[in-house]
Amino acid sequence: MTSSAMTATQAGEFRAAGTDLSERRRSGVSTGPVIDISAAPDTIGMHWDADESLRIGAFTTIAAIAADARIAAAYPGIAASAQGLATPQIRHLATLGGNLAQRSRCWYFRNPHIACLKKGGSDCPARSGNHLYHVAFDLGPCVAPHPSTMAAALLAYEAKVTTDRRSSLTIGDLLGDGSNGSADNALQPGEMIRSIELAPPLHGERALYKRAISRTYAEWPLVELCARAVIKDGTFQFVRLAAGGIAPVPLRLAAAEAALQGKPANVAAIAVVAERATSGAKPLPMTGYKLDLLKGVVQDLLERMTAS
Amino acid sequence: MSTMTINGKLAPLPDDPDALLVDVVRDALGLTGTKLVCGAGVCGACTVLVDGEPAVSCLMPARSAANTNVTTVEGIGAARLHPVQKAFMAHDALQCGFCTPGFIVEAAAFHDSWRAAKGTAVPSREEIGAALSGHLCRCGAYDGIFRAVADACAGRFDGNDIPPPRMEARDKVTGSAKYTVDIHHDGQLEGVILRSPFAHARISELDLAPARAMPGVNAAISLLGDDRIVRYVGEPIAAVAARDRKTALAAIAAIKLGSERLPSAIGLDEARKADAPVVFEKSARKRAGNVSEGGGSPAPWKGNIRGPSAAFSKKPKKVRSWVDGARAANNPLLVEGTFRTGTQQHACLEPHAAVARFDGDRLTVHVSTQAVFHLMELIAKRYKLGHDKVRVIADHVGGGFGSKAALGVETTTAIELAREAGAPVRVAYDRHEELSVTGYRPATEVKIALLPSEQGELKALSLTAYADTGAATNSTIAALARLIYPAEAKELADFDVISNLPAGAPFRGPGGPPMAFALEQAIDEAALRMNIDPIALRKRWDPDPNRQRLYDWASSLEVWRNRKPIAAQSGRYRRGVGVATGYWLYLWQPGSKVEVAVKGGRLIASTATQDIGTGTRTVIANTVAREFGLEPHEIEVRIGDSNLPEGPGSGGSRVTASVIPPMLLAIEQLKAAIQQHAKRQPVPGSNAPWREWLAASPDLSATSVRPEDSRQMAPGVQSPLKQAGFMGMIFGWMMRRFSNLAIGAGVPSSVQVIEVEVDTWLGHVRVLNVHTGIAVGRIAAPALARSQAAGAVIQGIGYALYEAREVDSRTGDVLSGGMEDYRIPGIADTPVIDVHFDQGGFDHVLGGSVGIGEVATVPTSPAVANAILNATGVRLTELPIRPDRLVAALKGRAAA
Repeated sequence: MTSSAMTATQAGEFRAAGTDLSERRRSGVSTGPVIDISAAPDTIGMHWDADESLRIGAFTTIAAIAADARIAAAYPGIAASAQGLATPQIRHLATLGGNLAQRSRCWYFRNPHIACLKKGGSDCPARSGNHLYHVAFDLGPCVAPHPSTMAAALLAYEAKVTTDRRSSLTIGDLLGDGSNGSADNALQPGEMIRSIELAPPLHGERALYKRAISRTYAEWPLVELCARAVIKDGTFQFVRLAAGGIAPVPLRLAAAEAALQGKPANVAAIAVVAERATSGAKPLPMTGYKLDLLKGVVQDLLERMTAS
Repeated sequence: MSTMTINGKLAPLPDDPDALLVDVVRDALGLTGTKLVCGAGVCGACTVLVDGEPAVSCLMPARSAANTNVTTVEGIGAARLHPVQKAFMAHDALQCGFCTPGFIVEAAAFHDSWRAAKGTAVPSREEIGAALSGHLCRCGAYDGIFRAVADACAGRFDGNDIPPPRMEARDKVTGSAKYTVDIHHDGQLEGVILRSPFAHARISELDLAPARAMPGVNAAISLLGDDRIVRYVGEPIAAVAARDRKTALAAIAAIKLGSERLPSAIGLDEARKADAPVVFEKSARKRAGNVSEGGGSPAPWKGNIRGPSAAFSKKPKKVRSWVDGARAANNPLLVEGTFRTGTQQHACLEPHAAVARFDGDRLTVHVSTQAVFHLMELIAKRYKLGHDKVRVIADHVGGGFGSKAALGVETTTAIELAREAGAPVRVAYDRHEELSVTGYRPATEVKIALLPSEQGELKALSLTAYADTGAATNSTIAALARLIYPAEAKELADFDVISNLPAGAPFRGPGGPPMAFALEQAIDEAALRMNIDPIALRKRWDPDPNRQRLYDWASSLEVWRNRKPIAAQSGRYRRGVGVATGYWLYLWQPGSKVEVAVKGGRLIASTATQDIGTGTRTVIANTVAREFGLEPHEIEVRIGDSNLPEGPGSGGSRVTASVIPPMLLAIEQLKAAIQQHAKRQPVPGSNAPWREWLAASPDLSATSVRPEDSRQMAPGVQSPLKQAGFMGMIFGWMMRRFSNLAIGAGVPSSVQVIEVEVDTWLGHVRVLNVHTGIAVGRIAAPALARSQAAGAVIQGIGYALYEAREVDSRTGDVLSGGMEDYRIPGIADTPVIDVHFDQGGFDHVLGGSVGIGEVATVPTSPAVANAILNATGVRLTELPIRPDRLVAALKGRAAA
């Protein structure tokens, strides 16, 4: 569910907790060398600055983020996302960096006997095959949705990423725009994520997270959304909506965000704006339902924010 | 070399970077309580504590356990049982037990931190559900798990042990119960199967030499049939046995294959096309598998379509003309529809596995099987060995559900590899194998027409079923509609659609759930159109005495009486209540024997049956204990070994009805013998006379064979086959002659009333509560029967809402080969379940009890669908009712 390989290199794959990589090694999808990496004091844990901004070490476990009271207060969307992904036993092991750099969960990619773009193949078998759980925003040759829940949450917070080579990368810089079907991120060979930086929260902002799934827990999201908003004087003053499960990379729902700006924070306005959430969508033959679910989660979170 | 501390002892860790903690724990340290199931962190069976925190050992590199403190299930209750273990035992929060160690480890950690923070406050269902969301139980023991965790947290199990209702519960909660995958002989090799990457091909070349030449490889064999054709992705081609799995995998990768690809047809739609490539040519038809519990009858076979099997029809031409007439006349009471169901995998948590070992000319095979005795016969026949030379053992079986009733490839491969290697060999399927090639409940397309008469009776019923059986035949779906809701005329036709997919297999009430999904929705629709209460209509149309009583119970339920009119709500969340009926045949196995003995004053009951989590040990112990006025735990039960007196297979819900009657006869004989040998009588007025007799008794034993049932039956009870006339009698005779199964009188029945909440925005269905009324006669082990009933509902909810095998329709690859993509219900998906047993109806069976396993799961999916209709006004005709289907259906209505 979350994972391990912080990035693939020619020399081998990085392994932090291994919750993604171990499954791929058992199945035979990953066969090259493994480079075990471990935390340094500055790459693990929460580091708060005097201005209330936060740096989270890449080796911090998802469970630690989920359980941190200060994160829950300042960045409730991050906390809720961490609480909502995978299972408790995985969250105890899996790291934030590994979650961001995990490989696709596509059932073609995970089958060692099937070629695909992410395994050096020349086309995407899901596109013309069974893509029930795949993208509804068709942005590149590979149609697998990006698996990182934390990436969507961090996108909503406009977080910055520091690697061992670069700093101030956006989530977009880190994961790319979905046009490179062979990769799950835009890290350079051998480049390792070290930490994530979050700006201080806005005054009065609220945030929520929701994933639409068929069961109650422990399922890859059909659609997931991290929403932040500042509601003042009965209107939306600030909105960030970042969705996962729908595209090769987590997506900001820019059209819906713009449409909400300055609008009254009530059910009627939200219902109208939810329709804009699917702006730019290009569903595949089997994924049109994800657009209904996307509207549903947008409406759900925005209504709950106005109610709270 | 690095080390960890495990259960208080120092243990070395391997240098191999790919070694995972679960492998070290199970294989190197022999702590087999920790189970490997999904290998992907989804199911939680491998959970251990690492420095006190639950962790998935199947994904944790062994290296990263260096300098940590690891606790396995063996370490949880090492000194004395943990309160959670006692609570699981007392609440019967387990069935097959394979997931239990993982649940225990997680629940113990949750309990300890809860108690530390909150004392004896009681956690809510939501809190327990979230804490255990990383664990899956295929038997569906969640109902008991909720109660166990809540009570343990409340401090109710801090004291002494209580004898558990399930005989082997202690072994299962401590991890000491040994399953086939846990067997390890000295010098044991690991067998791995090379499987076809093609949906259809002729294997022109198979060179095993490169595999045999590899160091550490002891045997390599071909598994090809003499036509050398593979008919689905995953069909076995060859196998190797090597010193470990890694070496075996490298060896099968070295095998040289030459193949000639053949055109393939995948699934119902492709295989039905007129020009579809034919999967089984006439000469090869006997290679097809069987999806039913009994043998098949002859049927026409054209291309990939086998059928119609229509022997259970009654005046079919009349049905056609009446239905055509009603359609032409726009008769509003004519209900017609097409219903589709998904392919349901058994998804046993213990994979199909066998460990074979030759000692001279004697063969011992541990097998994860539902039929130790029958398997011994089949192995002896196949390998031309005497029955006394073959021994099949299955102490504990981690789920079967119908998929482990036959002699499987895992078993024959282990035997053949062991013979060639001259060493014991284990073959244990990995999760992808388990979720692709071990059988499944076939997907179906069922066309139904139901016509009430002007007087409000059922006039005509037509069902035509197409089953997506893959490389198998013999589905019986439509035919099952003969034995319920009598009508003037019935047209019932079954077709198998054979294609280049793995073979289907019997699965808990084969054919029952898809038949009920169509029929029970059609009945519901008829009630709606006739403006009659759906239970009242069933009561009118279904005269079976067992179900008549269940209908009375169901219609008195508060949730039923308070239900709202259809689609009365308009908000985001809408609630609805639905009802459905199910039945299954009462089957028993002729020739079943039970020996009851007294040895050293202790009672021992023996029969070569097995307990796959259904509670057979306990049924036997309870029965013996009751007859002697003792406690069940005082009885020793010997099962799971083919050397014992011939016992029944655990399929067709037959075990209880096969073992109790001969056991009661044996007990009667034994009692007479004990009294005869008694030198003195018990103290007059003794409240435990048998305790005294037994204590003084010499060693004696008595064995009896399953007697025929009494012909004295309660009014209205009859053989269901009588309803089906002459063909029914023929069918009954064939089942007995060729499948060694007798179809008894009286019909095990189930009626379920289910309440759901539909989230119309996110297409999510939450089952809130289920009332399941079951008539299977006298309940021999009440706590365990309740577990079975609740588990059957949970599996039915999986079938209704979540579960579907997914394939690539071009290549035939199974895509849902992992537990992330094959979605079984979790604990938080479990509704509140009310189980009602109606204990009559089977007085003609000695002991009065018949089996429960299958009937209890039949009505769940249509009851859920009927409840969704009640909530939303939309009828869902395709399973599983996933969010994608639900939002589309709701939209269709809004658009219309």
